[in-house]
Amino acid sequence: MAATTHEPDVVHHEAHENRDKKYVLIALILAGLTVIEVLTYSIPDAFGGKASTTLIVALMVLMAIKFWTVAWFFMHLKFDKRLLTVVFYAGLSLAVLVYLAILTVFRFWGPPESHMIKNT
Amino acid sequence: MTDILPAKLEPAGALALPSGASAPTVAPLGVFGRPKTKTGWRSWVSTVDHKKIGIMYGTAAMVFLMIGGAEALLIRAQLWAPRQHLLSAEAYNQVYTMHGTTMIFLVVMPIGAAFANYLMPLQIGARDVAFPRINAFSFWCFVFGGLFLNSSWLLGGGADGGWFMYAPNSGVLYSPGHGIDFWNLGLIIAGIASLTGAINLIVTVLNLRAPGMSLMKMPIFTWMTLVTQFLLLFAIPVITCAQFLLLFDRQFQANFFNVSQGANPLLWEHLFWVFGHPEVYLMILPAFGLVSDMLPVFSRKPIFGYPFIVFSGVAIGFMGWGVWAHHMFVSGIGPVSVTVFSLTTMFIAVPTGVKILNWTATMWGGKLRFNAPMLFCIGLITMFTIGGLSGVTHSVAPADTQQTDTYYIVAHFHYVLFGGAFFGFIGGFYFYWPKVFGYMLSDKMGKWNFWLMLLGFNLTFGPMHILGLQGMSRRVYTYDANYGFEIWNKVATIGAFTLAASILLFIVNIFVSYAKSKKMEKPGPDPWDARTIEWMIPSPTPEYNFDPIPTVTQLDDFWYRKYGETEDGRLVRIAKTEDVTQPEHEAHVHLPSPSYWPIVTAFGLPVAAYGLIFSMWLALIGGLIVVAGIYGWATEHPDDPDAAHDVDHGPDGGHASGDDHDAVHDADAGDGDADSATDDEKEVAPVG
Amino acid sequence: MADVATTLDTSFDDAPDPDVAHGGHGYATNTGLSNTKLAMWLFLASECLLFGGLITTYLLYKIPAAGHGPAPHELYDIPFTSISSFVLLMSSLTMVLAVSSIERGDNQRFRLWIVATALLGSVFISGQVYEFSSFVSEGMGYTTSRSSSAFYTLTGFHGVHVTIGIIMLVSVLLLSHRGHLHRGNAETVEVVGLYWHFVDVVWILIFALVYLIP
Repeated sequence: MAATTHEPDVVHHEAHENRDKKYVLIALILAGLTVIEVLTYSIPDAFGGKASTTLIVALMVLMAIKFWTVAWFFMHLKFDKRLLTVVFYAGLSLAVLVYLAILTVFRFWGPPESHMIKNT
Repeated sequence: MTDILPAKLEPAGALALPSGASAPTVAPLGVFGRPKTKTGWRSWVSTVDHKKIGIMYGTAAMVFLMIGGAEALLIRAQLWAPRQHLLSAEAYNQVYTMHGTTMIFLVVMPIGAAFANYLMPLQIGARDVAFPRINAFSFWCFVFGGLFLNSSWLLGGGADGGWFMYAPNSGVLYSPGHGIDFWNLGLIIAGIASLTGAINLIVTVLNLRAPGMSLMKMPIFTWMTLVTQFLLLFAIPVITCAQFLLLFDRQFQANFFNVSQGANPLLWEHLFWVFGHPEVYLMILPAFGLVSDMLPVFSRKPIFGYPFIVFSGVAIGFMGWGVWAHHMFVSGIGPVSVTVFSLTTMFIAVPTGVKILNWTATMWGGKLRFNAPMLFCIGLITMFTIGGLSGVTHSVAPADTQQTDTYYIVAHFHYVLFGGAFFGFIGGFYFYWPKVFGYMLSDKMGKWNFWLMLLGFNLTFGPMHILGLQGMSRRVYTYDANYGFEIWNKVATIGAFTLAASILLFIVNIFVSYAKSKKMEKPGPDPWDARTIEWMIPSPTPEYNFDPIPTVTQLDDFWYRKYGETEDGRLVRIAKTEDVTQPEHEAHVHLPSPSYWPIVTAFGLPVAAYGLIFSMWLALIGGLIVVAGIYGWATEHPDDPDAAHDVDHGPDGGHASGDDHDAVHDADAGDGDADSATDDEKEVAPVG
Repeated sequence: MADVATTLDTSFDDAPDPDVAHGGHGYATNTGLSNTKLAMWLFLASECLLFGGLITTYLLYKIPAAGHGPAPHELYDIPFTSISSFVLLMSSLTMVLAVSSIERGDNQRFRLWIVATALLGSVFISGQVYEFSSFVSEGMGYTTSRSSSAFYTLTGFHGVHVTIGIIMLVSVLLLSHRGHLHRGNAETVEVVGLYWHFVDVVWILIFALVYLIP
């Protein structure tokens, strides 16, 4: 970002206008993804049926894409120093790994209600 | 947000560098004027100087050490003989809980923070930390959190659930008093201190190094500080999460640990130990860093395998996240989990062993000088090795099943935390005392101090291995005769009082040496013939640290300004120490300005916490104090416009932009600081 | 190991690129990043572990013990929550447009987008208040079951984060009205924006993990 301020104003403005257009486009894509997410609720059969593995995997993938898109473009990770990406994803992956491990130790996976409902 | 000044004070849009602005002095909210004094209690209360804050961290930690130590002596006195009634069972529960909590959160962690605050900026050649006011805020949060926690003694008794506060024992049903609420809220406040401190110190290490000091040229203590602060950054939110769940359970009847609602108390254990295991590494790593910087000085050799010692520290940091469930082998987590965590626990011994090897190899063939700091270093290496080995026995799950909840565990973690971390810290005190206070501690008394401490330590905790294997349970207020426990308990109690005497001797040394120092010569910048750049500035450290800021060319830069090597590898002196150290002089360096707002903001937190326990009105008042503090903080100019700023004090070469570097650097620190007032708001508001 | 050492040495080396060091914000730090931005990212990284813990708790406690009131997922009004999720998502767009405006010095549009962001955030919060009160009236109070405690705590923490974000946006707006914000310190807005987007991505996770997965 910093580097662009050195360029002449005209170029600068155009660059920004272009970027704004891209932002709107990205937001539209995000909105589209959200619509697909909601479709898993209204027509679950298109995703292999309610509570099917396919549906859950589809939701996870959509969620991950949305997350990444916001972080990469809106949070400017694409345009910033790589160190920031490293720092943030270090925290995120640590969180994911640790909490997945906890869920695994609790035997969270598998058919619903096999875990936790009994007082272990 | 550099200029969140009332509009009338600064013309719109004029974002001059703060150092250049000449706005009149502001008194936000009309309460506090800008603190000006450089001496007296006001200068300490309002300081943002990392050195003063470091000293205050150390002092506060020593005070809490007295409290925690007194609790330890009570425990040992109670266990002197079978069936004693010096303490009731209830009182005993409170005393051991508060002993553990105090020693971990209010003694060992803050001493680490004291060294990190004082030393790390000096080791990287910085003027201060990245956010000086947040640094002050962190310190006051820690002090207020600690005082709040200990005030429970006067308000109905301390927490009584053990330092890990297992659910559902920590619920209102089993602990109806307020002790656990004090524990919970006090540690949440101390957690805010750790989190803001961690962010601050990480940014400092990454951003404010002197020219030429790349990461792999940093002293090892700075490296270990970086790893420690990353561990804090990621571990604190986990315990905060768990503590909020407990808070809501106790205050608002939530059901996170309510077994009758089908809740699983193991959730607390997991969250606690996911925090708790990185926690033990973040207590030990600062001491490892100190030892790694002291050993080469007293061996007159470079550290053996610098990259290995750095990366083993980083590896410990990473692997520390994958071993937490070894604290829970007997909680019924299942054979697969037990096996996995057994293996990871065995693996983490490897990077730790690498460090032990490196230290030993550093001493090998060196010209050893056995001054007090060196003795403490060697004490750490040997005692920590014993503690590390007993730790490896825990990774063998069947053995651990026998050891869990016995004195064997108590012996183990005291060998690593007292024999490890604390020996390193006391050694660090002896080593850095002249740099901080301008006089040497008596080496002779220091040696007595060491041997007495080593003796007392081993007498206290050595027998606990045997007691534990004999089956004596920890956390039980007494024991019956004829189990064979009597003799070892007597030895341990004698040891504990010997240990107390050695701490007392350290304190006596401080005062005696101070009195003697008036008649003695000043120690000068470099009393130990040391290696890292903090020793090239006057002792005690001047307010501005370095002037000019040195350009670093290699690891142990200061050493290689003094010494060179002949072709056959012999050490030769190339410059006199006086010629390469910086003389003391009157410098007009622009420094971050002091402020009352950090302490005001931090003060609101315990008020709000008392409110959560006793009356919601008080909570509201506390919240308002926090909000007012943040407002005052944000509207105060980060740099006092009246402060002197006239001479160029940039680094001594290396940067092309000699002219404006200093101004840019100052503006940077100030700007960031103001901004992060909003940053605090986020962390503070949910609590307040 | 030496290879890693060299990589570290070069990637975070001092003597930053002159363009970066003395460009827009006038920073001369070793990484070329401003202290504030780096601090905010570190803070957000640590927040991942806070929300991770709360989400994990919810997932474990998703189903209440028998006889303790309705489960949260029996009460969800997915169309309603979808709309409020959409609102929060769009507030990320307005936020990024605000940052973009201030970076080219367009104060008028900048304020417009900030107001829009704060309003969208408020709509989201109002939606949450409405949702909570309707759940309570349907018999799921905070203390009803382990699931209700976990649900309200998780979404409540997120709501508090959004509220603080709105307060920060309003502060930014006031600053701008007093003329303290311009191209030179656009980074202040960018940092507030980072926080705002983070709150949005957390909701992306909550929406999928808590609401949509049956």
